Amino acid sequence: MDIDHATPELFRLVDRDPPLDCIAQGMSFGEGPVWDQRNGMLYWVDIIGNTLWRWRPGVGREVVLKPSGHINGLTFDAQGRLHAAGWCTRTILRFEHDGSITTIAAKWEGKKFNSPNDIVIRSDGSIWWTDSAGGLVIPGMVAQDVQRYIDVMGVYRLSPDGNTVTLAIADCAYPNGLAFTPDEKQLYVNDTRLGNIRIFDVHDDGTLGPGRLFHTLAGSEGGVADGMKVDVEGNVYCTGPGGVHVIAPDGKLLGRLRVPGHCTNMGWGDADWCSLYITTFTSVFKTRTKVPGIAVG
Amino acid sequence: MASVFERVAGPFPGALGGVAWDGTGVLFSLIDEMTIKKFDPATGQVTDARLYTGRVNGIAHEATTGIVYACQEGGRRVIQYLPDGSAAITTTRFNGAVHNHPADLTLDRAGRIWFSDPHNGVQAFGPQVFPPLEHASVLRLERDDRRAWVIRRVTFDTAAPRAVLLAADEKTLYVSEGTADSAAPRELRAYPVNADGSVGPYVVFHTFGKDHRGAQRGIEGLCLDHEGNIVACGGWRKSGPGPLVYVFAPDGRLLETHPLPCDAPVRCAFGDADGARLYVTGGDGSLYAGRIGSRRVPAQSRRAS
Repeated sequence: MDIDHATPELFRLVDRDPPLDCIAQGMSFGEGPVWDQRNGMLYWVDIIGNTLWRWRPGVGREVVLKPSGHINGLTFDAQGRLHAAGWCTRTILRFEHDGSITTIAAKWEGKKFNSPNDIVIRSDGSIWWTDSAGGLVIPGMVAQDVQRYIDVMGVYRLSPDGNTVTLAIADCAYPNGLAFTPDEKQLYVNDTRLGNIRIFDVHDDGTLGPGRLFHTLAGSEGGVADGMKVDVEGNVYCTGPGGVHVIAPDGKLLGRLRVPGHCTNMGWGDADWCSLYITTFTSVFKTRTKVPGIAVG
Repeated sequence: MASVFERVAGPFPGALGGVAWDGTGVLFSLIDEMTIKKFDPATGQVTDARLYTGRVNGIAHEATTGIVYACQEGGRRVIQYLPDGSAAITTTRFNGAVHNHPADLTLDRAGRIWFSDPHNGVQAFGPQVFPPLEHASVLRLERDDRRAWVIRRVTFDTAAPRAVLLAADEKTLYVSEGTADSAAPRELRAYPVNADGSVGPYVVFHTFGKDHRGAQRGIEGLCLDHEGNIVACGGWRKSGPGPLVYVFAPDGRLLETHPLPCDAPVRCAFGDADGARLYVTGGDGSLYAGRIGSRRVPAQSRRAS
């Protein structure tokens, strides 16, 4: 894989010529890669293809759910249950161990969400997601009800007891990827329309402090602020023009992973959490990093 | 010649799109503002009827159900605004491909939706995953034997279809074809509708050419009057005789014209309690209204108003 380094510090995180293996291809809109550490499998979705996929190294891939409701971002909770930002279902979904699917959040103040985009679960059990509105209008992503009811595209938090949905961030233009710092005391949220990443302090009661600009994505190539994850040292990996941008905890760009195609999201996996799985519109790629990502689930 | 039309609402930001009488007011679309507004002729007040429309252009109100069908250019689909405030899709795929950017539509008594599907320089929302169709045609949404929406292609000889309208007996489909940047002249065409829903060879009712100032702008909006005549709005100040409302007889004879005070009119529809005021959306972002003689909405029970 080609690497653009802004500073040699990048090579402490990735090799100068890391591998790039194609795990899967032939999709319309890959998204949501997440590693299932209990079963050693990668899950991801094809949003437009309306499919939830999984892949087991050395075995192959299979369809888990189709039609999937055009679900988008995925994550696991501490019990190993897959969670999905429902996008066209306009809900947050939990896949139970018995195979059933539970809707755990569908409305805020009595109004349907726009289209939940990406999702992250904090170790306290609170569930956080971005609620942009693209799932109501983007061709190939078809909701049952395409009317938008909520005036903001915000970030929401479901309380650990599952009872209370709170609008945590209201002043976004088009929130998309979100991830916590390793100590979970801060939350990163990127914005596709503004092309930037903001950082918010997380208070003990689950509320957030005001957002501060953390980084503005640069580049003329195709690609936007979409998926975003953080490694154990706090380096931020965020899709952007030309591939995956790697940003130090101080907000400085370290460099870019030049993934072929339009990157949509990424997630670390494998037993050492040093394999980075990257989705594009059409494919799932795998590369390696020297610093592991934050474990999921 | 003084215009019988006056501005009744606006200007709003950007060009207006579709217009339809919903029984109590005039719905009109602000394409760029992604809003459908409603003008109350009794009070002159304008309210928001729908927000977050995703660049809706043409709209048609179905009197029997209260559904407003809408051409959502930004989503490349025809959607349904339901009376409960929600919005449902129809279908977006034609032979497996996502169709272009629907612009105008007309409903028939069988519940079918005939719509123009031109290409559009403004991209749809989101990543451009789906290429446009290789053709720009009049398409038709209809239900299959399981009540699922399917799309059929109606015209095979259009390159930039604009306004569409069915005759009162639904045996003729009127299509305005071509934009000012088209190589071919703009035309108002009348296609005979066959019993199987296909159309036969068209007759040209009117042709718009060019003069030393440039190409004439053709017809953008169509509706019927109570005598079955075709009421059209089109033209611009840049060339030709300027922005006009035209009235064509069902056989294509041009009966009369009325100058408009706005440039680049977009769509027209009769409204008001007596159905005798013609509303015209303007490229200048304003809604205009005027009476053209005693012409009014067709008296017969129409599925769509």
